[in-house]
Amino acid sequence: MNWKGILKKLKEYPAIVGFVGIVIFFAFLSDRFLTLSNFINVFRQVSIQAIIAFGMTLVIISGGIDLSVGSVFALSAVVMASVLKGGSVLLGVLVALLVGALLGSINGVIVAKGKIQPFIVTLATMAIARSLTLVFTQGMPITGFPSSFRYIGRGDILGIPVPVIIMFGIFAIIFYISMFTKLGLYTYAIGGNETAAKLSGVKVDKYKIIIYMLSGLLSAIAAIILTARLNSAQPTFGTGYELDAIAAVVLGGASLAGGKGTVIGTLFGALIMGILNNGLNLLNVSPFYQQAVKGIVILIAVLIEREN
Amino acid sequence: MRNIVKEFPGVLALNKVRFDLYEGEVHALLGENGAGKSTLIKIISGVYKPDFGEIYINGRKSFFANPTEAIQEGVATIHQELNLFEELTVAENIFVGNIKKFNISKSKMIKITDQLLKEFNFPIKASEKVKYLNTSEKQLVSIAKALSLNAKIIIMDEPTATITEHETKRLFEIIKDLKRKKISVIFISHRLEEVFEIADRVTVLRDGNYIGTSEIENISREELIKMMVGREIEEMYPKFNKISGEEIFKIENLEVGEYVKDVSFDVKKGEIFGIAGLVGSGKLEIALGIYGYLPSKWKQLILNGKKITPSRNMLDYGIALVPEDRKKMGLVLEMDVMRNIILQNTDEVSRFGKISWKKSKIIATEEVKKYAIKVSSIKQKVKTLSGGNQQKVVLSKVLRKRPEIIFLVEPTRGIDVGAKVEVYNIVNKLANEGVGVVFISSELPEIVSLCDRVLVMHRGRSMGILNKNKINQENILKLATGVDIK
Repeated sequence: MNWKGILKKLKEYPAIVGFVGIVIFFAFLSDRFLTLSNFINVFRQVSIQAIIAFGMTLVIISGGIDLSVGSVFALSAVVMASVLKGGSVLLGVLVALLVGALLGSINGVIVAKGKIQPFIVTLATMAIARSLTLVFTQGMPITGFPSSFRYIGRGDILGIPVPVIIMFGIFAIIFYISMFTKLGLYTYAIGGNETAAKLSGVKVDKYKIIIYMLSGLLSAIAAIILTARLNSAQPTFGTGYELDAIAAVVLGGASLAGGKGTVIGTLFGALIMGILNNGLNLLNVSPFYQQAVKGIVILIAVLIEREN
Repeated sequence: MRNIVKEFPGVLALNKVRFDLYEGEVHALLGENGAGKSTLIKIISGVYKPDFGEIYINGRKSFFANPTEAIQEGVATIHQELNLFEELTVAENIFVGNIKKFNISKSKMIKITDQLLKEFNFPIKASEKVKYLNTSEKQLVSIAKALSLNAKIIIMDEPTATITEHETKRLFEIIKDLKRKKISVIFISHRLEEVFEIADRVTVLRDGNYIGTSEIENISREELIKMMVGREIEEMYPKFNKISGEEIFKIENLEVGEYVKDVSFDVKKGEIFGIAGLVGSGKLEIALGIYGYLPSKWKQLILNGKKITPSRNMLDYGIALVPEDRKKMGLVLEMDVMRNIILQNTDEVSRFGKISWKKSKIIATEEVKKYAIKVSSIKQKVKTLSGGNQQKVVLSKVLRKRPEIIFLVEPTRGIDVGAKVEVYNIVNKLANEGVGVVFISSELPEIVSLCDRVLVMHRGRSMGILNKNKINQENILKLATGVDIK
């Protein structure tokens, strides 16, 4: 490929360019930044947000939004934790996945069959799931799990943390779904023009339910990782995660209007958020400023996106 | 004399195009889709800047950096998509962006607006909310707004594409009135009859080139078509289908919500069956109802001799639909040509949910070739195609599966003459291949020329089915307006 071709490809993924730019920026300012251990650290921190954001990507491409991911995250964490306390790791993990998928499907069914705006539906389920989490735990954290479970969050294989491996595994699956399956094609079509998709014979309702179910399922996977890492499930888990996920997806070039977006973009969107956190910490920038920096980066990204 | 001259050497969209407009003149701008009409009016109205060339208004060289400047100079555009605030009143819509004083009272606004509306005989009330108006009335609001801004030149982009015959007549009366008040109108339409009825002069563009300008009296319909397409069209409405006696489709007592009541008809093999009617008569909803997009019920539906009870997607039975509005209902504009074609035919290229892009490419290339769709590649986004090519993409994706019966709803709306003829040819061929064709259209000339029988709708009910020897514009119009014919 010649230079022009590469440039053109890069223009399609401004998040990659942004990521590289920010990496170079911090590399100049901090000598501790550009080290393997620091990068592994960043990827581990990002893995949880990224997994949620992958699900959010499909939802946003389909023209919807899922505000409930943070609460679904918390509810699946605490329900799993109580099962883990009973002894079985495998059962606990399965229960978490089940809770996530179930809540996601409920979102999907109400959005698809009830014909209610996804923003409203998931705003409501976000509140309901959070409330259920608090009722279930009575507001107390659940802690202390078997070491085989903790391995999911703390272990590593050949120096790569397990959460990072899981993240890349899920990235590969969602990438495949979005590019090479009917589900992927239909997701873009529903977001691009729902009426046309329906008239073309796409079972819009069915695919919407699958998309929201996947979003819930991925939230649960992220919850498993965090619970394992902290050796604790807390009822306040996941607060504000929906915004981080949406930010990553938008940084990755998706449009909230639907029909546009890529999983690769989202991966780099999440990495940009993570690297900003990490770099600003290394530079000893007060956490009070960090949110503002993130906000500015998001605005710049969206402005660049509009230029395209 | 007002004189707009524009020259653009070496530009792709418009190549050394010129255009001039007299005071109080209706000047029709004609050309196939992609001829450069839209680009030209966007330059006149300040949306685009010309790379070269000049614009003169009243002999003075002018330049518009944006649409607001054009409006200030008296150039207003009535777009096809009317940009009005649905929730505001007519008066408020007219005053938006034009309020000199911030404290103008509602009653005063309505009074001033009513005066304006009365002066031009617009049958609308200033106090009415825009959302309660129909398309034609909204159009009048836009025109009134232009007039309130002292427009001297009004550009109308296909104003008659979405309104009824009766409303068109009213619009023409208003245009004539504008002429008397020395206001010039640039009129864009695909309907040649209308151009002959209303225009004083006509300018034709083709492929971005200026072809010519003529007084309307000095040119014939055939000459105009020839100028537009650049070749002789032997026949505007080709017809070569052969009807067999065999019945392929039959529906009894169809009801579609509020729109269609108690409609029955049958279609024979090889027949082109027309459905006509005014806007709001229910003719469009017949197709959407049978296809299952709108809630509907019927006593009996027989397809190829088999009775069908709708339990699955109608596509699975071989009932296909080319919807009315290709941009809103037919295509995913942001997706490329290949994906749009595949979208309706995924079962052909996928196994266990996995899509073979290799097969998809082969199919898309095949379809593009078959229907002579003009694309730079099958990866081109459909939103960048011309109307005619977009419609061919819709036809190709719908027809790929060889339906038993196809409902074509306004299949030639907003596409150029050349593409229309191609669509008519496709329709004829389909009929001959044994597909039942139901042709639903608001354009009477094509219904009259193309169809073997015509069902005419009036207020949701069938006024009767005309046989070939009874099909003419007069009979259809009578039935469509609720008058029986003897």
